[in-house]
Amino acid sequence: MTNTPREITRRQLLRRVGLTALVAGPAAGFLSSCATSGGGSEAAPSAAATTAATSPTNPFGVKADAPLEVVIFKGGYSDEYATQSHEPLYKKAFPGATIKHQGIQTIGQTLTPRFASGDVPDVVNNSGTDALDGGALIGAGQLLDLTPLFEAPSVDDPNKKVKDTIVQGTIESGLGGDPAKPYTLNYVYTAYGLWYDSALFAKEGWTPPKTFDEFKTFAEAAKAKGIVPFAYAGKNASYYAYWMILISAAKIGGNEILINIDNLADNAWNNDSVKQAAAAWAEIGKYMDKSYEGLIHTEVQTQQNQGKIALYPSGSWLEAEQAKDTPAEFKYAVAPTPSVTAADKMPYEAVRAAAAEGFVVPSKGKNAQGGLEYLRQMLSKQAAKDFTEKTKSLTVVIGATEGLTLSPGLQSVADMQTAAGTNVVTFSSFEGWYKELETELRKQTNALMFGRISAEEFATKMQEAADKTKNDSSITKQTRNV
Amino acid sequence: MRHGKLTPPVLRRYGFILAFLILPVALYIVFFVSPNLQAVQLAFTNSRGISPTFDYVGFENFTKLFEDGVFWAAVRHHGVILLAMPLIALFIALFFSFLLNLGGGQSNGRMTGVWGSPFYKVVFFFPQVLAVAIVGVLFQAVLRPDKDGILNSALGLVGIDPIGWLIDPNLALWTIIGVAVWQAVGFYVVLFSAGMASVPKEIFEAAALDGAGRFTLFFRVTIPLIWNTVQVGWVYLCIAAFDCFALVQVLSVDRGGPDNSTTVLPLEIWRQAFTYYKFGYSSAMGVALVFMVLTFAALTLRVTRRERIEF
Amino acid sequence: MATQTVPLKTARAGARRRPPARGGGPGVFGGLAHAALFIWTILTIAPIVYTFLSSFKTNAELFGGKSLALPENFHWDAWGRAWEKSHIGQYMLNTVIVVALSTFFTMMLGSMAAYVLARYRFPGNRLIYVLFVAGLSIPPFLALSSLYKVVDNLGLLGTHTGVVLVYVAYSLPFTVFFLAAFFKALPDTVAEAAVMDGASHTRTFFQIMMPMARPGLISITIFNVIGQWNQYLLPIVLLPGDKQDKWLITQGIANISTSAGYEADWAALFAALSMAIIPIMIVYVIFQRQIQSGLTAGVGK
Repeated sequence: MTNTPREITRRQLLRRVGLTALVAGPAAGFLSSCATSGGGSEAAPSAAATTAATSPTNPFGVKADAPLEVVIFKGGYSDEYATQSHEPLYKKAFPGATIKHQGIQTIGQTLTPRFASGDVPDVVNNSGTDALDGGALIGAGQLLDLTPLFEAPSVDDPNKKVKDTIVQGTIESGLGGDPAKPYTLNYVYTAYGLWYDSALFAKEGWTPPKTFDEFKTFAEAAKAKGIVPFAYAGKNASYYAYWMILISAAKIGGNEILINIDNLADNAWNNDSVKQAAAAWAEIGKYMDKSYEGLIHTEVQTQQNQGKIALYPSGSWLEAEQAKDTPAEFKYAVAPTPSVTAADKMPYEAVRAAAAEGFVVPSKGKNAQGGLEYLRQMLSKQAAKDFTEKTKSLTVVIGATEGLTLSPGLQSVADMQTAAGTNVVTFSSFEGWYKELETELRKQTNALMFGRISAEEFATKMQEAADKTKNDSSITKQTRNV
Repeated sequence: MRHGKLTPPVLRRYGFILAFLILPVALYIVFFVSPNLQAVQLAFTNSRGISPTFDYVGFENFTKLFEDGVFWAAVRHHGVILLAMPLIALFIALFFSFLLNLGGGQSNGRMTGVWGSPFYKVVFFFPQVLAVAIVGVLFQAVLRPDKDGILNSALGLVGIDPIGWLIDPNLALWTIIGVAVWQAVGFYVVLFSAGMASVPKEIFEAAALDGAGRFTLFFRVTIPLIWNTVQVGWVYLCIAAFDCFALVQVLSVDRGGPDNSTTVLPLEIWRQAFTYYKFGYSSAMGVALVFMVLTFAALTLRVTRRERIEF
Repeated sequence: MATQTVPLKTARAGARRRPPARGGGPGVFGGLAHAALFIWTILTIAPIVYTFLSSFKTNAELFGGKSLALPENFHWDAWGRAWEKSHIGQYMLNTVIVVALSTFFTMMLGSMAAYVLARYRFPGNRLIYVLFVAGLSIPPFLALSSLYKVVDNLGLLGTHTGVVLVYVAYSLPFTVFFLAAFFKALPDTVAEAAVMDGASHTRTFFQIMMPMARPGLISITIFNVIGQWNQYLLPIVLLPGDKQDKWLITQGIANISTSAGYEADWAALFAALSMAIIPIMIVYVIFQRQIQSGLTAGVGK
């Protein structure tokens, strides 16, 4: 297995080509024939009483004056893109509709009681540290199969289906349930890595470390300058750190490591790649001050903006999230995670880039068709362009960046993507499928990174948690092949 | 007043009893008794809350509970909080109210509090008027683990390195207990001051004349004299200690961390129900707890009943 | 310290008792006593003063390693932002309404039940009493899921009515337990005389027994106000997110804390906290004598 060229699945290739298309411009039409959507046979929304006649401009038969309720996660992207672009676009299509908008942080805490009582909104942006348990919702039939959305004509060109206007891999990233169907629209093309201030690095003559040995040398150098080499926020964002561990595990052992974890395969967490990755990151954790475990993400990010932290694990929303607190001379840039061993299956350049930031349509909403239509509007070029302008982040919509100048961080993401080529680290679905397992991973990540348990114990405890999930009859199991 | 036959006065009497009881009992049964009974039923199902269908699974939830380390950690922490929080708060409150009411020694033959006691009584009460969630958010800033935290800044002035109040697994629970004590003390200072005010001063003065030292005065005279008040306070503090959800949810690392070192039952019951949608399992936790609580309550009642009910 | 001016007035009012001239007051014990009281005063006031001052600070001042320093300048911008976004006024109003209503009904229904249970013998008395008192040992969160379902089935989810009814139900055990003891302790002669005079049971209760039990009622009322004011878990379950205009102060503050964290706007968070704290403090300082004397009368028995 070692030293063989990386296996590239067709999907990863397509996804990565798709991203290039996003950054380069509109010429992505050649991808249009690849349809890989999951289910396909599910009937249209059930709330038939409120439907109107369908047409190419109203493919779901939305009743023109039916009110629409939208709940947006008001995090790194804020919610202006919804209130100032997406919702007005919906209203333009359905002038008689009133939109109830809510921008909140605690999606799970706020909406769970509503799902329990059946009084649900029509569109939910399910994201953030307190997100809804997607797997449980799918298991309970609470989410709508989005196949009709992807099969519908697009807003910009009625002759093109929605699925042909978005980056390949988007639909698959939102698959769930058994049999797998697309329940989630992941709207934002997100790259994950170690973020730093390129101005600071240039000044100090530093480059981001490419191996963990270099990482330690770098850490000593940064420490000597009084700068914390690496930090994350343990109080509410320990998942930023476990992403790094999972990405490293995939780099060592290939994407099947993560796929096995998603599938709750026997001993998936006990795999040596996971242990090596955890051990490598735990070493870096030693350079962190203990206090980071008690801080929240924006506190740590603000410290980075103040030049106190060199490398910070995050995704490509970071630049927009910190825009207000970033000094003018601070230039965001991103680097891939360092290689762990010389025998890693994926090269240093490999990155995790995936469609993320999920949007779901609750199946029991009063205007579920309107929910689908809202997503369709979101996938128009205008909506996507507005989103990129407001959030400095790319959407999955192809060719929506025409005429936009990329911010330093976004340019860096594009460069990292180009360097990665076909080496794409896959996403992790268990985070959304099995909330309990995910919660346990957060706890154990903090314990590992702040030196309370060894990598070996980390793997053992996670394996126990995964087995517990697997043996829990009340949890609906899901699988993925790619 | 006893009546043997169903004369009009007797009917009126029963009518009155019924009229007075019907509303409180109905309300209590609908919103208190029935949810608890339903919880017993739910505890034997795999109900997910977000889906209408569920199956009866017998004792499966309870057998799972026995293997659930987090549940037992929560039970243990609850025990610690229930014992420590009221005791510490009561002791501090008794001590302060003693100082404020009797600590000034005698003046003109009367026992007095230390100078400035009305001021202290007002200030000490402040935390109690802040809702507990406000206290939690306030203490986020106080207890920040780095040198920017208020407490650590203050300690830094005297050369003590920052302490990870909420991030050290051995310390975090005690920090949260400390915050709860901080909030509670003032109310009980005022309550016990009230208790002491109602005891005839001559008793203290006589004791003082007999040469009782302050120690004796505090432990042998004052506390026994206001024992009734202490019991009321204790019962209410235990009720408050039971509901330590807000402080833990707002203050702790990752809601109950680090390493489950601060998690408490309401947090786990809430998390199981409203994060994982496991209404069945969540209810089983509650039911299992009822048995533990009833044991505890039986003890409480034994202590309080003697004095308060069978007056 | 600015916050001390108001309490000082009350201190003067109560200062009839002069410091002791003699009699073992001062000395080591007195010194230690004053030190302890002083430290606790600082512990109590410092976080509140810090909150107020922090609302004028920038992020750099808050996290620049000098968190004890005074703010560089007193801009009220953060207060404007907090007032606009955080709906503190609305949450306060909601909470006052809910707590006022639920305390009123708790005391009303609680004293009715306690009175009957304490002073009348009838079949089932003991059973009902035990049912109430057993509730004392069952905290509200035990049956969270089914409570949620009950309230939802009655169509009261997301309504203040639902919250008030639940608060009342969960406050009854404590209230009935202590008020029953109170009513039992009242002398029989007065009630008997009233009945001899032809007063109805209801009139006896409202016009004679209630006023006699007033001290006890006041102190239990204070307990209930404080307990219900502090509730956090019940509101977040019973007033879900889409009913944001119905939220109570505790959940509102927790939400502001989260969103201030996400937006890195800590000054606004501290401003919002100050807005929640200051009115309560003022109300408390105005009523503190009543609270103290209410408790004194209540436990005086």
